[in-house]
Amino acid sequence: MSCRQQTRRKFLKTAAVVAAAPYVITSNALGQGDVPPASDRIVMGGIGIGNQGSSDQGAFLGRPDVQYVAVSDVRESVRKAAKERADQHYKNSDCQTYDDFREILARDDIDAVHIATPDHWHAIMVIEACRNGKDVYCQKPETLTLREGPLMIDAARRYARVVSGGSQRVQEDYKELVARCWGGELGEIKSINVNVGPLSQLCNLPAETTPPDIDWEMWLGPAAWAPYNAARCSGSFATDGGSWRSYVDYSGGGMTDWGAHHFGGATFAIDVRELQPVEIEYHNDPEGKHLTYKYANGLLLHHNRPKTENLVVEGTPGEKRPAKPAPTYKGEGGIYGDFIHCVKTREKPFRDIELAVNTVAVSHLGTIAYQLQRSLKWDQAAQEFPGDEEANRFLDRARRQPWQL
Amino acid sequence: MLSNALEALKTYDWGTDRAVLAPIDEAVISTRDDEGSRQELEASLAAVLATPVSRDAKDYVCRKLMVIGTAASVPALARLLPEEEHSHMARFALARIPAPEAAAAMRDALASLDGELKVGVISSLGARGDEASVPALAALLASGDQQIARSAALALGDIRNAAAAQALAAAKPADPEVMRAVVDGRLACAERLLDSGDKSAAMAIYKPMLGADQPKQVRLAATRGMLACAGQKE
Repeated sequence: MSCRQQTRRKFLKTAAVVAAAPYVITSNALGQGDVPPASDRIVMGGIGIGNQGSSDQGAFLGRPDVQYVAVSDVRESVRKAAKERADQHYKNSDCQTYDDFREILARDDIDAVHIATPDHWHAIMVIEACRNGKDVYCQKPETLTLREGPLMIDAARRYARVVSGGSQRVQEDYKELVARCWGGELGEIKSINVNVGPLSQLCNLPAETTPPDIDWEMWLGPAAWAPYNAARCSGSFATDGGSWRSYVDYSGGGMTDWGAHHFGGATFAIDVRELQPVEIEYHNDPEGKHLTYKYANGLLLHHNRPKTENLVVEGTPGEKRPAKPAPTYKGEGGIYGDFIHCVKTREKPFRDIELAVNTVAVSHLGTIAYQLQRSLKWDQAAQEFPGDEEANRFLDRARRQPWQL
Repeated sequence: MLSNALEALKTYDWGTDRAVLAPIDEAVISTRDDEGSRQELEASLAAVLATPVSRDAKDYVCRKLMVIGTAASVPALARLLPEEEHSHMARFALARIPAPEAAAAMRDALASLDGELKVGVISSLGARGDEASVPALAALLASGDQQIARSAALALGDIRNAAAAQALAAAKPADPEVMRAVVDGRLACAERLLDSGDKSAAMAIYKPMLGADQPKQVRLAATRGMLACAGQKE
């Protein structure tokens, strides 16, 4: 019997218990002051609580309309720290810890989860959360492959779940640019440029001794097996080899990691968030490799256009257009407040999973064009490169057993 | 240079400088319009899979065959499917090689594999939308191995054709995890039926899912589906 089979059995046994257990009404169940009664609070758990996950945990813990009850992480020290943080916040010891995220998803008392694992886990966890009736706040980049996106959208829509992506920068960093574009100040918008990178690379780091703190099989999950190496699984924000964000099995590199922000801001500014490009032109000029994405409505999105700064918009100055109202967060408290508001009202959040998927698709499409070193055509409805057998091979990748979307 | 890189695969392992394999990466692109050279490259890479090179070297070769592999590579890859260390990476290539021989090799492997390796093959057949595997997957819905039965249900939901819908409708698993996957697969089939205009068949799937014994999210899914059948938005 493999370790994972044992883990699975343990999971099933525990899941049966936790699913049957009622939510324990704590001393502050009736609410007091600004804290609403338990019945009005969103009961949440967190999956992947290191680095960005810790920041997300802090944001949700700080909300009086959230009751934060569980954490899951493959690192024991991270689980412990996250539990202590929640317990100190509530002055109790109620926060439960889990090595296996499925144990959180099996709890009937949990309404929503936030996910901040490495990207190779996102689709599996989001889809499984939806199947279990949870609303989800998932960190960006929400997908690792193009095929994952529509399946995540399907799961969210199928089970009527609120699923928000997790780029706070789209609304907060590019506010002025969006206001100028949507306000009509730049006239008819023609194009925008995004400078971002690099692409992720194959990881071939040497084996190191696996620390007892980490469940390495679970960290790898659906990714190809590889030996433990601290840089391979570091949660730092490096995309130059110092963290998982640098490596192709876990991330699309800067192209998706920062791309989720920059392409998100760019597609929001020129109002193509609901679309995916229909063509990706690959250029290999003396000045460097770069791309031009074409949308069906004629708008262009440049990537790394030579001698062009990030998020420069080409409009028609002097031809001011009528302003249109730009979407913004609902509720209070930034992107986290937007998500919680939508969990309560069942509205679509600002970075609804469909918009998030469209954004990260820009990164993936560009990555494939760079990998193949040629131009591509893309059919958004069919989710394929029409008649392009070579490019279609890159739509997805087989997941390591026993993980499945 | 390419021959040096192929030679380097013999000693390649985790920690080796990746640059030694760069000529192979380059050949994958440069042979695109040169059928003879591409076939030669594919044959050289496939041949490595039968040699005692490191796991990392075979891993690398499978990644390249994912991009350039044809029916010619299938036998070498299929031989790795029963091997614990290499099964996943064999599927990494087989799942994306469009030749029907690749799907056939995975279907054939179902009979001899067990446990997690079998789950892996099931998931790849589902992801591939392999309609020819529906009878085999349908039979696995009754497997005593919970992981296999669950995986088969999800794969049938990926394939979501009429035969898959029928197989899932007939499944009566006692295990709640398998049942959740069966329900998910049935809902996926209903969505396909709805898209194709067969509202009555979709309705027949949705209606029994409204029962009070179903989880809230399943009842919501059924309600949403029935509204769509009636031409209304939720």
